[in-house]
Amino acid sequence: METKQPLEQKSFSLPLGPIHVALEEPMYFKLDLEGEKVKHVDITSGHVHRGMESIATKRNFFQNVVLTERVCSLCSNSHPLTYCMVIENLAGIEVSKRAQALRIMAEEIKRVASHLFNVAILTHVVGYKSLFMHMMEVREIMQDVKETIYGNRMNISANCIGGVKYSINLELLDFIEKSIARTEKHIKEIIDIFRTDKMLLRRTTNVGYISAEDVIKYGLVGPVARGSNVNIDTRRDAPYLIYDELDFDVITETGCDVHSRAMVRLRETLESIKIIKQLIRNMPEEGELHVLLPHIPAGEAMARSEAPRGELFYYVHTDGTDMPLRLKWRVPSYMNWEGLGVMMKDCEVADVALIVNSIDPCVSCTER
Amino acid sequence: MFKFLKILVRNILQGPATEAFPLKPAPTPEKMRGRVTINPDLCVGCGICRHVCSAGAINITPSDDKKGYHYTLWYDSCCLCGNCRYYCPTNAVTMTNNWHNSHKQEDKYKMAEHHFIPYIACEGCGAPIRVLPPHVAAKIYAHSPVDVDKIIRLCPSCRQIATAERQGELHESKPE
Repeated sequence: METKQPLEQKSFSLPLGPIHVALEEPMYFKLDLEGEKVKHVDITSGHVHRGMESIATKRNFFQNVVLTERVCSLCSNSHPLTYCMVIENLAGIEVSKRAQALRIMAEEIKRVASHLFNVAILTHVVGYKSLFMHMMEVREIMQDVKETIYGNRMNISANCIGGVKYSINLELLDFIEKSIARTEKHIKEIIDIFRTDKMLLRRTTNVGYISAEDVIKYGLVGPVARGSNVNIDTRRDAPYLIYDELDFDVITETGCDVHSRAMVRLRETLESIKIIKQLIRNMPEEGELHVLLPHIPAGEAMARSEAPRGELFYYVHTDGTDMPLRLKWRVPSYMNWEGLGVMMKDCEVADVALIVNSIDPCVSCTER
Repeated sequence: MFKFLKILVRNILQGPATEAFPLKPAPTPEKMRGRVTINPDLCVGCGICRHVCSAGAINITPSDDKKGYHYTLWYDSCCLCGNCRYYCPTNAVTMTNNWHNSHKQEDKYKMAEHHFIPYIACEGCGAPIRVLPPHVAAKIYAHSPVDVDKIIRLCPSCRQIATAERQGELHESKPE
């Protein structure tokens, strides 16, 4: 006689990952389920650890600009920017206004592309493939901008210690202006779809709830915090570069769910476009774009910036040679990671991938 | 849903968004960072490109007979960051917008640029040197009355002597 599973056994554990079709990046989840409901989550990381902090101590300061760019492809401008800022803080290097404006330009172009990518993946996870394709096509406009201005679609290599490696002329500014005008039109359309489309709303509202108290308790950052109405943004709270001279709003939403976080990202792209427009109008004409081979003294320094995923922090310790003794970075995904346990409490199994995507996880940053 | 149907119809009418590569050439921007190339005539062998190269794709080795140096650049190691081009003081290193780097496995060791860059003899003492490219020399000596063509053919020590001699002449020619 064959034995059947006793029907009264309702709870079981389900492994998900590290390689799974619905997950963007390698993470391992052990889900304790009761029926379809998730009761407890265990997250294991470390699948893509590359020892980058150690590699950084074996390379000179100029090589590390390129190394930090390879930490993550979507924040591949925020990392070298913050790294250059930390070295400049240490060596007391002044960066000219024009170079600062160009740095912000690169940062905001990357932010638009990064946010569009994440929200596109959301539509992919909920199965709205045609909207996914459309959003990726909209993002392609920004990819073309990067390719035309910087020469590469992801690793734009815009920063160097003391300034920027690229310059810009009126023709290119005109090209950026036309491209962001096109993107803006499309993004407004997409925001409208996200506000009204019943299927998207049913699938994303009240999913992955995290309250403002929990956001503060776990120290979550970036669009995840702003989606729960926690008004933080490093660009405004601790201005770096010339962000304090620019006019932009910090976007917050009150829904505390997957939909709010997506809306924050979509609306933030419009703010980024607003910043790029201001820079195009008031691009400082004069100013050295670079400092050639500065000497980096012994000491310690830190710098922070707002990456697309939240606050990014860099620390450096040097001894006067041309290699750092220690280079440490704390990435936003490392903080947001902890929020997953709260968001996934009592959710459906089918929502797990959606919730993971909603924190815009960057495992390659977190594990470097 | 209707809002998206509108976009859908518009996108269908627009036709394919993808490029027909490899059937047709893909549009490549002028500033695209493609294959790195070096002009051996402009290279002075300072080695800054090797110093800043984060991928270790550049090798500079003096030849056995000390008559020059071998410059090797491996395309397969290069990560196209553009550091070498940016820091090169003489613009000897440039980047093309050629991104066609696919090749057969058996060709992987041929994916490199190699130059033997010879020294010339210093006109003062015969020591092996590389001559500064004229456009760099013109920049350095823009406000100096020296004979640029002559001074770039001297090694650093002979240049020091030449400078000292010139200072001496200036000093002597001054009325007492």
